[in-house]
Amino acid sequence: MFFHIVLERNMQLHPRHFGRNLRENLVSKLMKDVEGTCSGRHGFVVAITGIENVGKGLIRDGTGFVTFPVKYQCVVFRPFKGEILEAAVTMVNKMGFFAETGPVQIFVSNHLIPDDMEFQSGDMPNYTTSDGSVKIQKDSEVRLKIIGTRVDATEIFCIGTIKDDFLGVINDPTTA
Amino acid sequence: MSIEPFNRLVKLAARAFYDDVTTKGDNQPKTGRGDNRGIAVVVLDALTRRQWVREEDLAKELKLHSKQLRRILRLFEEEKLVTRDHRRETAKGAKIYSAAVAATADTQTGGKEGEEKIKLHTHSYCCLDYAQIYDVVRYRMHRMKKKIKDELEDKNTVQEYVCPGCGKRYNALDALRLVSLEDEYFHCERCNGELVAESDKLAVQDVGDGDDNARRRRREKLKDMLQKMEVQLKPLMEQLNRVKDMPIPEFGSLQAWEARASAAGRAVNGDSGSNDPSKNSQGYGGTPMPFLGETKVEVAFSGLDGKEDVKSESASTSLKVLPPWMIKQGMNLTKEQRGEVKQESKPDGSSAQPEFSDDKKSTVENDDKKKIQDEYLKAYYAALYKKQQELEEAAKKQQELSDIPLATGLSDSSNRQVGMKAKRDDNEGEDDIDWEEAPVAGNTTESYKVNDLNVEAEESGDDEDDVDWEEG
Repeated sequence: MFFHIVLERNMQLHPRHFGRNLRENLVSKLMKDVEGTCSGRHGFVVAITGIENVGKGLIRDGTGFVTFPVKYQCVVFRPFKGEILEAAVTMVNKMGFFAETGPVQIFVSNHLIPDDMEFQSGDMPNYTTSDGSVKIQKDSEVRLKIIGTRVDATEIFCIGTIKDDFLGVINDPTTA
Repeated sequence: MSIEPFNRLVKLAARAFYDDVTTKGDNQPKTGRGDNRGIAVVVLDALTRRQWVREEDLAKELKLHSKQLRRILRLFEEEKLVTRDHRRETAKGAKIYSAAVAATADTQTGGKEGEEKIKLHTHSYCCLDYAQIYDVVRYRMHRMKKKIKDELEDKNTVQEYVCPGCGKRYNALDALRLVSLEDEYFHCERCNGELVAESDKLAVQDVGDGDDNARRRRREKLKDMLQKMEVQLKPLMEQLNRVKDMPIPEFGSLQAWEARASAAGRAVNGDSGSNDPSKNSQGYGGTPMPFLGETKVEVAFSGLDGKEDVKSESASTSLKVLPPWMIKQGMNLTKEQRGEVKQESKPDGSSAQPEFSDDKKSTVENDDKKKIQDEYLKAYYAALYKKQQELEEAAKKQQELSDIPLATGLSDSSNRQVGMKAKRDDNEGEDDIDWEEAPVAGNTTESYKVNDLNVEAEESGDDEDDVDWEEG
């Protein structure tokens, strides 16, 4: 699920950036530092949408670096248990398949794949129904439900299922 | 409002879920004689026949060690079946409870612990919490069903993997770390062995590779289990549905119950409250309000005096509009004791307030009033007695009135319970034996043995009814 929230961060700025572009430098450094990171609490920071305010800078003794407390608005993405997501398959093996939605990796184990889908090995391993009408392989798009998340300080990993109504392949790359 | 269906619910639940509860630790060997499985059922059954009860008394009546009983009660407290109350109290505090017990069950002689101890002792009381039991049982059934169903459909289960080499376990959340680049299997982080999927906990425990055959077998087993559960817990489900729209009997907290029970008890003991010696204890002796004497037991709640007055006053007025069958019960008592109404009321009151009674009471106006009241009482009793005899005749003719005890409520008609309680206690020895034997009989084969025990429960209920009418 996506959220638009306000976060705060203390930015250390090198003295060489001081000048008329200080603010722009600060923002670009913030984007470089924050976008794409993941915190266990808020999820992945997808994009910064704006700066709320920049506090008073504090010059560090000895180094000359200046610390600015910056409040910024950003879009974060955090997966939840029970959430339905669309994901692209990245790897298929005998134990199940891996998929990702944006930065989140999701594993679907083979017992959470419908019983009528069988694993087919080969140079393009895949799960196929007995009549061959549905096939899950690398780069397929699937709709899945998250049934478990592991949230570490800097990483979120999910397991999902496609064994439910309206879940499964939504776009087959071979037929498209 | 009836308590009987709820008691039945408790009994069924006890047999379904607490049948093999033992107070022994798991490490102790369960020899034939030391095996006390089913004791939890006995305790729950005993509680259905009581309201608030002091745990020592309960232990004595069940011939259990109080430690043993407490362990079981603690289990039930954790399971949210009973509410418990602990308080440090003097002998006097214990007497309030005894008075309340005497009001609900007048065979029981309260006040065993006399005046000798002035020290504070911690006493524990326990009581069934019917509202919570209803919810707990429903929730438990729901969880059982959900668990099996989920497992049947492989829903929401996190697959576990185990390394056959070193025995290290992983689950699907570790999957990202376990994939290897060489082949399509997961590999152990420690020994690089190939991991195998572990099958579900409820079903077969073998660490097979979960091939189709094993999966199908597991499925069948689960389906079987679900079916069995539905059949065996059907009586419990039915009882839950029956109880669904009924008002739930509520005893309230220990204090509230004591206050109510003793007030109701006095109401039953008749209008003798007017010449109750202890009425003066609250300073009402001189006031021309004869019935205020009934507030005497509330002495202990020194902070709540005003409130209690109102309550017991309303209790006594409600007595007057009681339906005839209820008055009959009260009549029973007064009939026996008509000659000695005063003696009857005196020990009751004097146990609470022994010293103050005599000196203040004997004022002239009180005596006058007493005469008038005595005369009134006599006339009243005579009328009641006649009416009651008629009723008895009628009652003997139609023996099937089992619904009357059911119809008696808890709070509004606790005076009716005086009779019931007493009789139950009389029968208790037999009852206990009954219930103790029942689980043993059904013990060996099935996991839930609700079915065969229903009969038992109903029978004992009938017994009570019969006794009721014979004595009445």
